[in-house]
Amino acid sequence: MQEKLTTLTEAIAPINDGDVVALQNMATQAAPMALVRELIRQEKRDLGLVVLVGGMAVDWLAGAGVINRLIGAAVTMEQFGLCQQYRQGVEAGRIRVEELCETVLNARLGAGARNLPFLPTRGAIGTDLIAQNPDNMKLIDDPFGGFPVVACRALRPDVALVHAHRADRFGNIQYEPTIMWPDISIMPRAAKRVIVTAEEIVDTEVLRRHPERTVLPGFMVDAVVEVPHGAHPTSFFPNYGYDSEFHREWAAAARDPEQATAFIDRYVRAPSSQAEYLEAIGRWEEDQ
Amino acid sequence: MTSDWRDSPRAGDYSVDELMITVLADQFHDGDQACNGMASFLPVAAFMLARLTHAPELVWLASAAGLEPRPERIPASTLEAPLWRDSIMYLDQYTVFWDIVLNGRWLEKFCVGAAQLDQYGNANNSVIGSDYHAPKVRLPGTAGLGDMGSIGKQLYYWNPNHSPRTLVEKVDFISAAGFLEGGTARERLGLEGGPEIVVSNLAVMDFHPDSKRMRLKSVHPGVTVEAVQAATGFELLHPEGEVPETRPPTDAQVRLIREVIDPDGMCKREFSRRRGTSAR
Repeated sequence: MQEKLTTLTEAIAPINDGDVVALQNMATQAAPMALVRELIRQEKRDLGLVVLVGGMAVDWLAGAGVINRLIGAAVTMEQFGLCQQYRQGVEAGRIRVEELCETVLNARLGAGARNLPFLPTRGAIGTDLIAQNPDNMKLIDDPFGGFPVVACRALRPDVALVHAHRADRFGNIQYEPTIMWPDISIMPRAAKRVIVTAEEIVDTEVLRRHPERTVLPGFMVDAVVEVPHGAHPTSFFPNYGYDSEFHREWAAAARDPEQATAFIDRYVRAPSSQAEYLEAIGRWEEDQ
Repeated sequence: MTSDWRDSPRAGDYSVDELMITVLADQFHDGDQACNGMASFLPVAAFMLARLTHAPELVWLASAAGLEPRPERIPASTLEAPLWRDSIMYLDQYTVFWDIVLNGRWLEKFCVGAAQLDQYGNANNSVIGSDYHAPKVRLPGTAGLGDMGSIGKQLYYWNPNHSPRTLVEKVDFISAAGFLEGGTARERLGLEGGPEIVVSNLAVMDFHPDSKRMRLKSVHPGVTVEAVQAATGFELLHPEGEVPETRPPTDAQVRLIREVIDPDGMCKREFSRRRGTSAR
């Protein structure tokens, strides 16, 4: 098996300005935040993001000027409110939104994963989503004579970024307790490259004890990096919950561009490693 | 499970969130399956109340992720793990959850919250303003609502802030299909199902069977028909005869909500701040 173990810097370096990046994320859940911080530190520009539901990761990337478009179903931090930097970027026309409902996003990624030109869905019919996105959604006749369906054009992101519970140095990835969100199931299969951070790198023998928990085979993965607490401040079930205080701090700062920049400088640009990040946020002192 | 809920007297003291929870709970029965998305405190409370009272066999897919969970109480998030504690099964959103939804045999009813709702029950959770690419307000987005309105489901809207800004003549953007332009517009596209009722903090509305325009069904105790109309951005149709009063919760229902389901008052947060994050 090929060695895939690397560093955050080297894992993110091959991502080009303008690339389409599929990001694991829910409102406050399971985002590969260490990879997101590295995108900001390396000053990537004009990235397109693919998310089912984006949260703080999207807001940071918007505030740091990394993204100029978003393909997704929703962006919100749920109880912590709307993502204000993202919102300001969209309202000012700096970030273009290609909004898709969930079955359309799943169909686009599913077609990408299976090398099909499109997959159909019955979702979105009657909504304004279709007229807003004529390049990727078309109402077509059912060739078998039923009511029309929406053809959803294949989406193949340049890279998928995900965070997992454990991996070996060859990029075999395990997830606990099982796959629940499409970011870990369909996004990596649709993407051209896959970059994974894992809470821990273990010997392959450890993976062999629970092969049913392996969700990505090493040959699908291009780079793997060990990043303990790599999803902070989002939750990473069952390891840790979301950081409420940190979300509230960001939500308050995000209303003002200068405060948002200061926050990102302090917690994203200044720490040059995960260890320095954990020191800056002052959580998990016992690990340091 | 409590046995006295059915004969319990009307509550002498209840709040509007408790009233809305009981109205929503009444829509779900044994044999139904229900699921919730994020920021959906009132629907979650309604499912939990129904399961504790009249519908112990109501199946619940919490956060569309966990089957039949046993949360201690409503937590601060309706998407995060504490809600789907002790589940029987985890559902993969891509390969399991949406197949169950789309199949047509299960999960026929969905509770939907939206920033704007119009007179034909179309919902907007996408943008406020006429320019989609430079909106006045960028809202969270359609999430699963854009699917639910088009795949034959019955939609139960909840709106904790009944006002001319949330109930508008025409939505700025259709994120979820209601009755579109009304009449037979849904049928012409082959769409089954559609909006059933709207439960707001002032009243319950349904839709006229022919025109599909929104119609008053009942006003909450202490609220006048005139007040509801004044808080609505379009002319509401009226039922024949007197507009009935919404049945208030019983003592037992209120006790269950306060002591068992939502002792931390999470449902009340929907009333204190503007959110618009309800999805799926």
